[in-house]
Amino acid sequence: MRGMIKTLLAGSAGAAALAALLLVPTGVATSADHLDPPGRTDGGVDANPDIPADIADVFAWHSNGTTKIAMTFAGPVSASATTPLYYDRDVLYKVNISTQAPASTPEFTIKYRFGKGAGEKDWGVRIEGIPGVTGVVEGPVETNLEKDGVKVRVGLFDEPFFFDLIGFRETRSTGTLRIRNDRNFFDGQNDTAIVLEIPDANLGAGVTNLGVWGQTARFGGNI
Amino acid sequence: MIARSLKRFVALATPLTLALSLAACGENGSGSQVVVPAPLPSSTATATPTATATAVAYNSTRCFTQVIQGQNGANLKSIIIPDTLKLDLTRSTRFPNGRHPSDPVVDILLATLLLDMNVTGQGPNTLANVPLDPPSNDKFFLLTFPFLPTPNGSAQVASGTGSGFNFRTDPDSAYVSVDRMGNPAIATALVGSSKKNSFNDDTPASDDVGDKYYAEYISELNKLFGLIGDDVEGLGLKICSDKT
Repeated sequence: MRGMIKTLLAGSAGAAALAALLLVPTGVATSADHLDPPGRTDGGVDANPDIPADIADVFAWHSNGTTKIAMTFAGPVSASATTPLYYDRDVLYKVNISTQAPASTPEFTIKYRFGKGAGEKDWGVRIEGIPGVTGVVEGPVETNLEKDGVKVRVGLFDEPFFFDLIGFRETRSTGTLRIRNDRNFFDGQNDTAIVLEIPDANLGAGVTNLGVWGQTARFGGNI
Repeated sequence: MIARSLKRFVALATPLTLALSLAACGENGSGSQVVVPAPLPSSTATATPTATATAVAYNSTRCFTQVIQGQNGANLKSIIIPDTLKLDLTRSTRFPNGRHPSDPVVDILLATLLLDMNVTGQGPNTLANVPLDPPSNDKFFLLTFPFLPTPNGSAQVASGTGSGFNFRTDPDSAYVSVDRMGNPAIATALVGSSKKNSFNDDTPASDDVGDKYYAEYISELNKLFGLIGDDVEGLGLKICSDKT
């Protein structure tokens, strides 16, 4: 069956249908969460987009007795030397984790705030609410921080999302299938990320199911 | 060597020969080097297509209630309401059980939204196995902390030093919501423009109250099927939406 599907997808009828598959309403499958909501974070819609508060992606995975959570934001951005740093003192970041029913309310809310240091590129992060960690974790960004078994890091990374956005847009505008699985719009770009590695024990005894979501908020209101 | 030769061949191939080359790919998507059916650019101008009126009306409710294979009885509705990324620690991670950065989430999500999961051979990985989109990131993910690859190019990075940072200490009430995210592409794909801000201002607890956004999700997916439902069926795939 899979072979048949591949054949069908590869044929001209399949190509036409795939072209149609991409002729979808604006926003459909164009991103994980980058530039959403557009009225606040998309420069094509909002003249003053809130780039630092724009969540790009949330990841959560488990292996070898630890849960890993990453939330990317402010991306994708160019890898150029002129791209500014997107740490913003006025944005509050939250990573919420539900470990008990109901799955829609968090047992843990991890809060991140950024603060400027004395040097031109000195930025620090203060993190509170980490499961199993007493007090706050605080230190420079671009540094691995560790306390009570939990590892955290905030910094600039390769944009981890992959998708042929160019093919999507070209197909939508021309009606000719342009999508390719060897072209990734997000190649070579970056975004900023919050990464956590949390031992199972820190989440509580017997916890087997998590619900994870991110939130951002801006001090004093939307820009 | 073989992959490079095949890729070169595909670049020169017509859609018909692509059919043959893709049919020879491994079932596990090992043909990832093969360009997905990309017909050569036409030398004649093609009119920009517009959605055409159709007498067919779609009801995609069943897409939300059908059981998704390999997810312990979960369905799309239970996965996205509330909009949290759900991770069963006792099972291996692959979206929609959690999300590893390497998961091909766009292809998985499209299959989950569109395909009838009761048909043998159709499942959440049907499109990822082709694959439709790039199957992997441009840089390898790290096996150890911090897992994400180093940044590209000559981008500025913070110094990684300093102390005495000037943090705000204001209460949460001094901040106004901007964005939220649980599952990939739900806010971008299944929430219409008029509800974007309110959806992002809400919480998963609000999602649960009377399945607040369920009707919106169905409505947006119905629109999607109105555009492409017949085309997906034209591929020989069975869609999960009912037609009236």
